Amino acid sequence: MNKTFIIIQREYLTRVRKKTFIISTLLFPLLYVGLIFGMGYLAESSQQVLNIALIDRSGYFEQTVLDQENAIDPSSKVSLISEKAEDVLHDPEAAGFDGYIRIPALDWRMGNDSIWLESKKSYGSGTTAAVQAKLNRIWNRIKNDSLSIDESKQAILQGSQLSIRPRNLEDKNANANLAEVIGYIAGLLIYMILLIYGSQVMMGVMEEKTNRIAEVLVSSVRPFQMMMGKIVGIGLVALTQFLLWIGFVFLVYNITKATGNGLTSASSMVGAMQEVITGINMPLILFCFGFYFLGGFFFYSSLYAAIGSAVNEDLREAQSLSFPVTMLVIISIALMTTAIANPTGPIAVWASLIPFSSPIVMMARIPYGVPGTVPWWQLGLSMILLILGFLGTVWFAAKIYRTGILMYGKKPSWGEMLKWVFRKS
Amino acid sequence: MEDLLRVEHLKKYFANQKAVDDISFSVAPGQIFGLLGPNGAGKTTLIRMITGIFYPDSGTITFQGKQFDPIHDVRHIGYMPEERGLYKKMKIGEHALYLAQLKGLSRPDALRQVKQWFERLEMQTWWNKKVEDLSKGMSQKLQFVSTVLHEPKLIILDEPFSGLDPVNSNLIKDEIHRLAQNGSTILFSTHRMEQVEEICEHIILVNKGEKILDGTVGAVKQQYKQNHFRLGIAPLSAAQLDPAPFDLIRGGEQEQIVQIHEGKSTNDVLRFLLDLSIPVRSFEELLPSLNEIFIRLVGDSPTARQFQPAS
Repeated sequence: MNKTFIIIQREYLTRVRKKTFIISTLLFPLLYVGLIFGMGYLAESSQQVLNIALIDRSGYFEQTVLDQENAIDPSSKVSLISEKAEDVLHDPEAAGFDGYIRIPALDWRMGNDSIWLESKKSYGSGTTAAVQAKLNRIWNRIKNDSLSIDESKQAILQGSQLSIRPRNLEDKNANANLAEVIGYIAGLLIYMILLIYGSQVMMGVMEEKTNRIAEVLVSSVRPFQMMMGKIVGIGLVALTQFLLWIGFVFLVYNITKATGNGLTSASSMVGAMQEVITGINMPLILFCFGFYFLGGFFFYSSLYAAIGSAVNEDLREAQSLSFPVTMLVIISIALMTTAIANPTGPIAVWASLIPFSSPIVMMARIPYGVPGTVPWWQLGLSMILLILGFLGTVWFAAKIYRTGILMYGKKPSWGEMLKWVFRKS
Repeated sequence: MEDLLRVEHLKKYFANQKAVDDISFSVAPGQIFGLLGPNGAGKTTLIRMITGIFYPDSGTITFQGKQFDPIHDVRHIGYMPEERGLYKKMKIGEHALYLAQLKGLSRPDALRQVKQWFERLEMQTWWNKKVEDLSKGMSQKLQFVSTVLHEPKLIILDEPFSGLDPVNSNLIKDEIHRLAQNGSTILFSTHRMEQVEEICEHIILVNKGEKILDGTVGAVKQQYKQNHFRLGIAPLSAAQLDPAPFDLIRGGEQEQIVQIHEGKSTNDVLRFLLDLSIPVRSFEELLPSLNEIFIRLVGDSPTARQFQPAS
């Protein structure tokens, strides 16, 4: 039997049998689902009613109209104050309000963009926007009445609009909003894999070195086989975890679809998933995800393996040496955000071709559509460059690994490690 | 008989160290061969070249009559390095199986061998225990088993007894002899001379990357003997000692340690004593211990090896 295969087998089985693997595999989706349902529940149940005093100098606002609006949007209660306005201005909380709004004397033809919601506590823009919308609905009605626009005319004014959405000529099914979400998720997942499993490779190599088993092993197998066995074994662990999660998601999807409409957030999730499955080229995305997952993993984990082989038991040494590599992954995430905002811009294109960032950035661009947003030549070139890239890092890492795994003592610098690479064997 | 291993003009220079500088030797099949030398003499580098971990800068290694080929010949070599360890979280039985399979044994073969060895060294109950539960001596035993269970033709042991108690030491020693009797060749590296004297037939001594001694244990002792003898006689007076063909080194009530003068023979000594009518109860040659030879040869070199340019 091939020795690399024996090593892969050991690396895989020892990790998959570990309690931490089983627990994290089970716990992650549970936490995730808990988070979604929990957030929905919190949003629905624990809304606090904002009590606002309205001090109106314009004379346009009436309490009856405000009451109607308060009934429509109960997240805030706006009350007209005519008497004892000074008390409210002096201390709104003592007067029983969270804050107040002063409407200056103004004409209905003109708006006013410097009206404040004044309060002792700070409120976010989301809260003030709801109050603003409420007052503007009343304001619109006042304008309509003044212009004698009746309900039917109003319906025309509000209903007839030009709505412009992005649509790609090459790929008419492309859905930019959905693509953005899937792009983010795919990019972040690859980012997580690279960092979590990359450092697992590094720790694994360090373990072999500090346990002093490295020399026992290199008398039986080539250092290259040792390194590849470890990388592939851990890569398969990552793949296993993802397949289990994907399986779990489909299970939850089917169960919620079957049991139907118990919870609103659950059924909206099912709806969203249905949209995802039908609206997007799922097979291509899954294939590319697999490819960039493996390519990126090989690219980075071989670098992490080289670092693990060069350092001793000190974790801080490993951290300082792996900092440049970790930075590359983090820069990729920053580039991904730019690429999602503008998936055909020059940064997006370049970052999705260069191997160090392509696993994350290309994965974020692909949901926008192939060949619409990402032409076939870009995808092909990116894949070829990534393959060349990881062959390069594997070669590079193997040279460092071969020397590093048997070196004890001082931590080498990146400069010394480069010397190991380019020294003739 | 053809040599199992022949090393010729082997060199390995590191950036600031001539680790191995032109060393040649050969090991016959079935021999227990001692590779001696102080710390940092280049023993480990030499062994790493023989096990295919390092490539030599120059020189040749011949294994079983053919040019040494690391990829295929490691199957026939068992190496227990000085820096040795195990995966702490693995089960002991699985660990032994794993190392055997990496040597190229099929799983059933590996299983049979591991079981056989575990039985012989009374380790059967260990099978499902974890490596981290083992004491240092126990894990040494496991490492020894892992080194030899693929029935290698050449077994290389680097400081195999470090950390072992006398009972386990003897156990391993017996196993080494048994393996040698069954045809394995053993290359044994250490700086513990008393063990070498007990176990090895042939030795080489390495210092500062060079070979400074090569021969059987008996021949080496003959070569470095200093004409020391133990005489079973009563103490001699100063007047008696003056014309004697020997110098007194140490004296006691019952016996005297003496060094015979250059050019004089043992018979000269006996004749001298007979002439004085001194009763001789015993007369015995004292050969130097390997430890003494070792210290005499490398003792004057600095305890820490200095860095030297390899040019």
